[in-house]
Amino acid sequence: MAFPDKKYCIGPMVIFLLVLALPVWAGVPTEKIKQTTEKIIAVLKDPNLQGPAKMQERNKKLREVADERFDWEEMAKRTLGKYWNEHTPEEKKTFVPLFITLMERSYLDKVQGYSGEKVNYTGESIDGKYGVIDVKILTNQGQEIAVSYKMKNRDDDWFIYDIVAEGVSLVNNYRVQFNSILTQSPYAVLIKKLEEKVAQPQLPKPSN
Amino acid sequence: MKSRTVILFIFCLWIWPVFFAVADENGRQRVLAADRIPDESAFFESREKDKERQESPGSYSENNHTTEAAQALSDFMALEEIPATTERLPYADDPWPDEISMAAIGQEDEEEVFVEEPIDTIADPLEPMNRAFFAVNDKLYFWFLKPVTKVYTKVTPKKARTGIRNFFYNLGFPVRFVNCLLQFKGEGAGMEFGRFLVNSTIGLGGVLDVATEGCQFKNYDEDFGQTLQFYGLGNGFYLDWPVFGPSSLTDSIGAAGDSFLDPLKYARIKSRNRTYARALKGVNGASFLLDEYEALKDSALDPYIALRDAYYQYRKKKVKE
Repeated sequence: MAFPDKKYCIGPMVIFLLVLALPVWAGVPTEKIKQTTEKIIAVLKDPNLQGPAKMQERNKKLREVADERFDWEEMAKRTLGKYWNEHTPEEKKTFVPLFITLMERSYLDKVQGYSGEKVNYTGESIDGKYGVIDVKILTNQGQEIAVSYKMKNRDDDWFIYDIVAEGVSLVNNYRVQFNSILTQSPYAVLIKKLEEKVAQPQLPKPSN
Repeated sequence: MKSRTVILFIFCLWIWPVFFAVADENGRQRVLAADRIPDESAFFESREKDKERQESPGSYSENNHTTEAAQALSDFMALEEIPATTERLPYADDPWPDEISMAAIGQEDEEEVFVEEPIDTIADPLEPMNRAFFAVNDKLYFWFLKPVTKVYTKVTPKKARTGIRNFFYNLGFPVRFVNCLLQFKGEGAGMEFGRFLVNSTIGLGGVLDVATEGCQFKNYDEDFGQTLQFYGLGNGFYLDWPVFGPSSLTDSIGAAGDSFLDPLKYARIKSRNRTYARALKGVNGASFLLDEYEALKDSALDPYIALRDAYYQYRKKKVKE
């Protein structure tokens, strides 16, 4: 069989190349996640920041890195759900900083346990200004943990608004907790509980 | 003509995302519409009423065009005109709304999107009992499981613990295999069979997970609880068992079913040794998870709810897979 005429080929080739080019264009959020992950690992591995004495300093650095990539306010909105609209800006002003501290704490608790796990980037899907980046974390015991980062595009940059580990969404987990509290008690109780939680000392770095 | 076929093929390749986008948009519209459909029974009820009125013409004085049935029918057809009364969520435009089945996703005009807030969680009618058992388990964890596991972790090297975990996981093969078959997961059943063969022989009775590292055989963690949900049984409600921990009604039935496929049950060993083996399995498994429970407790406002929701979301993902 003769290969199709040259003139029939060029058009399809151009289109084909365009199709191939699409996923390359879509790689931005994954790059952002990669950068942040590398920064976090660099801080955790930093020999100057080891040991319990340096924990405060290390946590401060980790917090700075996380603040660059997380959209805490978006997370706050999502965890409050319908209650978000019910509150005045003043009430939100008390809630959001407390919530951010709690999120940072919860994220740091998870990150602290890092001990050389490998991170593989397995997928990315984008729909308008929203994106999901799938990651497989290979633990040192050979187990795979599937993690998805949900991201939102704002000001030409991508920010994380939810982390889903093995199907468990951080935002959904807090939403169910907040909802359970708010259906039984007033808003002030939630704020009080948040304050108490944030005041608790952080867990030490896990040993095993 | 061959060349035309090539061009057509490549054109189709290029155009398919558009088709999908269109199909998807239609789907969303339909879901959106379905969500706003007034109760069908309203139509039938009002038709009954109309019939009654026609039978007693004395009370039937309105004109024929605006009977209640006609009204209900036009409500039923003119979906757009039904006002959505629920409030607007701050994240209503999110295409992946935390796995919640929110109907009005993807609407371009944000101002017109109104969605009910569906809290996605598991039913918990026995919450007081579950909370009591949660407290018991919490005490059991700090007074018994944690100290024992700490000592165990100190005296057992990580490699040995990994080996023991692999060994017990390999023994769970019948459960995974049978449940793959029950859910018509042919590939899963094949993979599990291959894993069992390789790991039981080359992997020294399951201690080494050669199948994952060497052969790239994926594990299929199926159990009877998932099988029951596969056949359409819901999760029932949440149950927090003393000692065994979080479960649901369906998963508890599933666990009872799976216990008949546990090789330890049929091993010809003394019942005392069987108990030791199970204790080893439990403590060894816990040695990998010790920090996770405390991290969950530390970051939660209500640890009971946090654990319940984590269990629910985790199982939901497992069923979906």
